[in-house]
Amino acid sequence: MSARVLVAMSGGVDSSVAAALLREQGYEVVGIAMRLTPEGPRATTRRRGTCCSYEDFEDARRVAERMDFPFYVIDLRADFAARVVGNFVSEYLGGRTPNPCVMCNREIKFDRLWSRARALEADFVATGHYARIERDADGAFHLKRAIDSTKDQSYFLFTLGQSELARTLFPLGSMEKTEVRERARALGLRNADKPESQEICFVPDGDYASFVERAAPPGEIRRGSIVTGDGRAIANHNGVHNFTVGQRRGLGIAAGTPLYVREIRAATGEVVVGSRDQLNSAGLIAEQVRMVDPAWFEPARFDDGEIALEVKIRYRHPALPAKLRMLSGERAEVRFEHGGPAVTPGQACVFYRGDEVLGGGFIERAVEG
Amino acid sequence: MRIYLDHNAGSPMRPAVRDAIAGVGAAVHGNPASIHRAGQRARRALEQAREQVAALFGAPPRAVVFTSGGTESNNLAIFGTAQAAGGNRKRIVTSAIEHSSVMAPLAELEGRGFEVTRIAPNRDGHIDPEALAAAIHNDVALVTLGLVNAEVGTIQGVAAIAQASSRAGAMFHLDAAQAVGRIAVRVDDLRCDLMTISAHKIGGPAGIGALYVRPGVNLAPIMLGGPQESGLRAGTPNLIGAIGFGVAAEEVSSAIEDECARVEMLAEVLLNHLIGAIPGLRLNGPRHGRVANTLNLTFPGVLGESMLIALDLEGVEVSMGSACAAGAVEPSHVLTAMGHSSAEARSSLRISLGWSTSAKEIAHAAEIISRVWRRVAGAEPAFDAEAAR
Repeated sequence: MSARVLVAMSGGVDSSVAAALLREQGYEVVGIAMRLTPEGPRATTRRRGTCCSYEDFEDARRVAERMDFPFYVIDLRADFAARVVGNFVSEYLGGRTPNPCVMCNREIKFDRLWSRARALEADFVATGHYARIERDADGAFHLKRAIDSTKDQSYFLFTLGQSELARTLFPLGSMEKTEVRERARALGLRNADKPESQEICFVPDGDYASFVERAAPPGEIRRGSIVTGDGRAIANHNGVHNFTVGQRRGLGIAAGTPLYVREIRAATGEVVVGSRDQLNSAGLIAEQVRMVDPAWFEPARFDDGEIALEVKIRYRHPALPAKLRMLSGERAEVRFEHGGPAVTPGQACVFYRGDEVLGGGFIERAVEG
Repeated sequence: MRIYLDHNAGSPMRPAVRDAIAGVGAAVHGNPASIHRAGQRARRALEQAREQVAALFGAPPRAVVFTSGGTESNNLAIFGTAQAAGGNRKRIVTSAIEHSSVMAPLAELEGRGFEVTRIAPNRDGHIDPEALAAAIHNDVALVTLGLVNAEVGTIQGVAAIAQASSRAGAMFHLDAAQAVGRIAVRVDDLRCDLMTISAHKIGGPAGIGALYVRPGVNLAPIMLGGPQESGLRAGTPNLIGAIGFGVAAEEVSSAIEDECARVEMLAEVLLNHLIGAIPGLRLNGPRHGRVANTLNLTFPGVLGESMLIALDLEGVEVSMGSACAAGAVEPSHVLTAMGHSSAEARSSLRISLGWSTSAKEIAHAAEIISRVWRRVAGAEPAFDAEAAR
């Protein structure tokens, strides 16, 4: 009997092609769409009395019908609200800039979905992520960047460990996006030319601050002052959740030189601003650090307590050469080889060596020169 | 091997129905309203079907109005009564566990100025007939109640309700879609004014149903545009559907006792096996006073959604609550109305047997359901937080 693979399908091109490819390769595909938000990412036909008529799910269902594999919609709204949206809101209220896609992968796709896969006796979970998984001669699994560097999504997947990688398939990791679209057209997929989703799915209008305000528990909004580096208050603001480190526009201040957010102190409500060159940091402290292969924690891998690697501190940033030093309690210090850009607490900080993801963590704070 | 245990959602067509439809497809055509001979033949076939359907519940044929199914019948009963009722009758009495094709029209009427009284069930899904009867006063236009609940199978006692409706001059509508073919349904015994039935619940084709309209009651049509169906349902009738419906009704009329006894025995076998194999399994609804074909079960420590999908992948087709527009399952509003927690409702599945269910299928299903429960409970345990609190 062929291996059963549970494919997470959004109705988009990538996951549709991923499912179709696996079906063609002879896997027993089970398509799963996850109902995560009350309204759905693009609820176009909101009928009276219903709130879940996702056009996207219909696209996924058509792919399943066409490729002749079973397809189900599962309800993970409660988990998503608690583990992803709740985290998103509390991070912003705490003056940090969260990355809900990383959280969703960790908490939903590779946790809840994996439990479901075991319940359904699936051997693998597959997604339409652009990343590669390779197994070496010793049996260890490696997470690598996608062949298509413009689409590479390995950054979002650093939380996967050996046991997850052993049972995960990324069929698109070795394909170019143009190739995926061609496959979609060749398969007659109706959604072959569907635009890419860019925004955070549960904030379709992109207005994170308003979303946080609607979702925040009463009294949790941290209002305060915008202050300069020497502690001088220059304006008031309506809550630290309106800011992200490195942000320039929208400060509501007319100043001679452009001002940027350098630091957010949620406890006091202070948003510290400064000039562009003051944004630069020497490094960062990462928390919840984990390695794809725990062998990377072995002392032999370290040279004088440090590992040389590259670090990516935002999805769209290039990887920068850095030195990693482990601290106690799943924390690590990362120092940029040549000085670094603005460091945004809450974002994922992912360790690479060349094409390989070694691991990563979440940015706790910047380290000054 | 696929094992279909979702007869409450729709039974497969009976072989005699399939044969009848295949046979008449070529022989009968035309519009029953036409003057010519083709029309006359079509009309004869339609009226024969009407007689067969009417005989199923002891009604005169002219009391049977063909519709597109149970949902349309319920809509016609509710909107047709509301429209025909006098201005001093602005109340509707119902239960809290009705089918959505009753609940949604009633919600719509609330927006149009009607007041709806919804009587809550007890933990078994029984509506206290005295409590419902006590809510029926002279201002009530309509009393509408499901005779058998689709999700748990509870059979409602309606004698006191019929009497109170009659005394108050209110229209009494029964949704008998889940009752016909599972218990004896006679309109004279039930003393209802209107009654909904659906063909595909008794092994007829989908897309056809009927509303029993007691001769003499004042009902307004909701579909206008022709004199068909005594002026109560305009539109060319679904002739092929009606012929299949008629044959299904005839089959049920002649086979109901044997069929019900056989289904009851199989359901008992399945229930006893599952109770033995799954510690903490609970039957929802009453042990007695329930249609035997329906087993609504709460499976401890698992999500019904997971069980449903896992069972489907193993070839056993059951259901849970209702499906939303996106195709995800929603926990049953009937179970929560009966006082179960939403977590319990999320752990519950409905297994419904019917004419096609065999002893071999039940033996297989019993083994598969027990095995799948053990696996799902181990792999993806669901914790009933509300019950623990």
